[in-house]
Amino acid sequence: MLRSSLRSARLLGGKPIAAAAGRQWSVAAARQAPLAKRFYADQKTPPVLPTSETLSSERAPPPPAPELVDTTVTPSEIPPTPPPPPPVSQSAEPPKASPPPPPPKKKKGFFRRLRNFIFTLMVLGAAGFGGGVWYSRVNDTFHDYFTEYVPFGEQAVLYLEELDFKKRFPNARLGGGRRTDPGEKVRIPAQSGASWRVAEKTEPSERRTSASPSVKKPENRPEEPAKPAPQQEAVVAKPAEKVTPPEEAAAVDSKAKATDIKDTPAAKPLKSIDLMALPDAKEPIVRDLVHMLNDLILVINADGASGKYSSTVEKAKDEVLRIGNRLKDLKNEAEKKASEDVRSTVAEFDVAANDLIRRVEGTMAQQEVAWRKEFEEQMKAVRESYDERVKLLLEREKKLNEEKLQNQLLEQAIALKKECLKEVETLVEEERNSRLGKLNDLSAAVSQLEQLTTGWNEIVDTNLKTQQLHVAVEAVRASLEDGQHPRPFIRELVALKEIAADDAVVDAAIASIPPSAYQRGIPTSSQLIDRFRRVASEVRKASLLPEDAGVASHASSWVLSHVMFKKQGLAEGDDVESILTRTQTYLEEGDLDAATREMNGLQGWAKTLSKDWLAEARKVLEVRQALDVIAAEARLQSLRVE
Amino acid sequence: MSETAAPRSPSAISRPVSEALLNEKWDRCLSNLLVKSTLGLGFGVVFSVLLFKRRAWPAYLGAGFGAGRAYEECNFNLKQAARDLKRPSV
Repeated sequence: MLRSSLRSARLLGGKPIAAAAGRQWSVAAARQAPLAKRFYADQKTPPVLPTSETLSSERAPPPPAPELVDTTVTPSEIPPTPPPPPPVSQSAEPPKASPPPPPPKKKKGFFRRLRNFIFTLMVLGAAGFGGGVWYSRVNDTFHDYFTEYVPFGEQAVLYLEELDFKKRFPNARLGGGRRTDPGEKVRIPAQSGASWRVAEKTEPSERRTSASPSVKKPENRPEEPAKPAPQQEAVVAKPAEKVTPPEEAAAVDSKAKATDIKDTPAAKPLKSIDLMALPDAKEPIVRDLVHMLNDLILVINADGASGKYSSTVEKAKDEVLRIGNRLKDLKNEAEKKASEDVRSTVAEFDVAANDLIRRVEGTMAQQEVAWRKEFEEQMKAVRESYDERVKLLLEREKKLNEEKLQNQLLEQAIALKKECLKEVETLVEEERNSRLGKLNDLSAAVSQLEQLTTGWNEIVDTNLKTQQLHVAVEAVRASLEDGQHPRPFIRELVALKEIAADDAVVDAAIASIPPSAYQRGIPTSSQLIDRFRRVASEVRKASLLPEDAGVASHASSWVLSHVMFKKQGLAEGDDVESILTRTQTYLEEGDLDAATREMNGLQGWAKTLSKDWLAEARKVLEVRQALDVIAAEARLQSLRVE
Repeated sequence: MSETAAPRSPSAISRPVSEALLNEKWDRCLSNLLVKSTLGLGFGVVFSVLLFKRRAWPAYLGAGFGAGRAYEECNFNLKQAARDLKRPSV
């Protein structure tokens, strides 16, 4: 919030001013005028700078307009602005004298004011410049400033210094002249520069001669100081020509030319100087010297000044030869000295080595002796220690042997004692047996009695078991006969089996009972009879069916069965009706077995219809049979016991 | 112990008792006869209405066809059963 407001304020503060300035040209101009006036009141020069600066500043557009306006409004102010730029240099120095100038601001006449202003400016500038030059000579730091920042200040100061220098050393003008004229030096070489004409014109030859000695100087100085001297003079003269009035140089030149002109015709008939050859110059210095000499000779030959320099060149050759010989001698001497030194040093080294060897041998011998002593001592110590150990071992072995012997003795004693004890025991036991034999017989009799009693106990147990068996069988039968509905008698059977223990017969009998019988129970006899009645009515309906009967035969059989007469008692015949009658009579008598047998004789549809009843009857019969078997077994067991 | 438990019921549910075999067959035959004769009658009625100007005989004919078809099926069933009975015995 605050920031945003500030920003907006800034924007407002920044832009509108410029905009206002842009809009209100006249107002700006009006403002600037007083500003300018103020400047003038403070300092004289500043108004100049602003105008010059404004041109390069950001507000480039506004200023031109004011100027235009100014021209119209105050033409008197414009003229002062252009003149100042030249005295800009003065602007830096005026600090001393600047304040006074402002006065000409009063409006008298424009030209008058201008004149006064310029005049005062010039006077003050000259005074300031002069003062600066003077002070720069007094103070070094100021001198640096002055020469660096004030135009023409350096030249002025230098000129003054030079004047001073000349006053002090009037003879040393040349150095000063040289220093001052590097710019003019460039012009002169063009007049006396090298040209392609070598042989004909004197100047180039002269130049060459002057150039070669400069190389020659170091070698030939001692030999021929006479010749190079004039040449050197010429060399010095040449530069002198350029600066100083060329009168002297011209004179020297004319002399040199004359001599050269004289020499050249004389040299032509002469033979060229032979090149120097030093076949045995192996040293690099000598070789270089020879090369240099040969170069010189070649140059001389090329110049055709061989005649002139032949003697000197010969001298030089001799000198070079001499130098070579000297060098050889020096070398030989040095070699000799070196060989002698080497020999002496070798001898010294031999002596020193012998001494060293002797010392080393001595020390070796001493060390050997010392080591031998130490070795012997150590050997003695080792021997003693080993002897002690051996003694100890021997003593221990002796002890061991003694102990072993004692142990053997003890063992023998123990064995003897044991034998004695055994003999005593055997004797005692013999006596015991003879006396206690009778007691053994008695105990046997007692045991027989015990066996008898146990036998009787067994008999009693078996009796109990058989009784229990009987009870269990009776319980099963009771459960079978008791209920109105068939019910499982699995518990009774389990009890029976437990009581029977592992009786094979009982197990077999129980196994013969089909599991469905004791799981679901067996129907009672009354139930069987009841069901038989229903089955019989159904069977009678299908009694007259032929084989492969269809709908018609079934219907006829059903119809006819109602019409048929019923038999009574044990009827004869194999037809369905008689069988059914017989079964019924057997059932009424209670003979389930016979009834089942009769029903089993049925055929075809009758048999399939009575199948379920037959299965039930069979189940009942099986259970009864099994129970009978178990009961018989129980009776048998009870009989066996007695 | 558990006298109310009737162990006979499971057998009755799982498989018809042997003496009720024939009766069951008869029941099925009768129902079949009823359904088929009704179907035939319906067809006959439709035909009589659509084609035969509402005469009575197409309806009787359809019923007769249905009854005959049912009879034949019943006969076949019984004979099949008889044959099945014989096989295990023989």
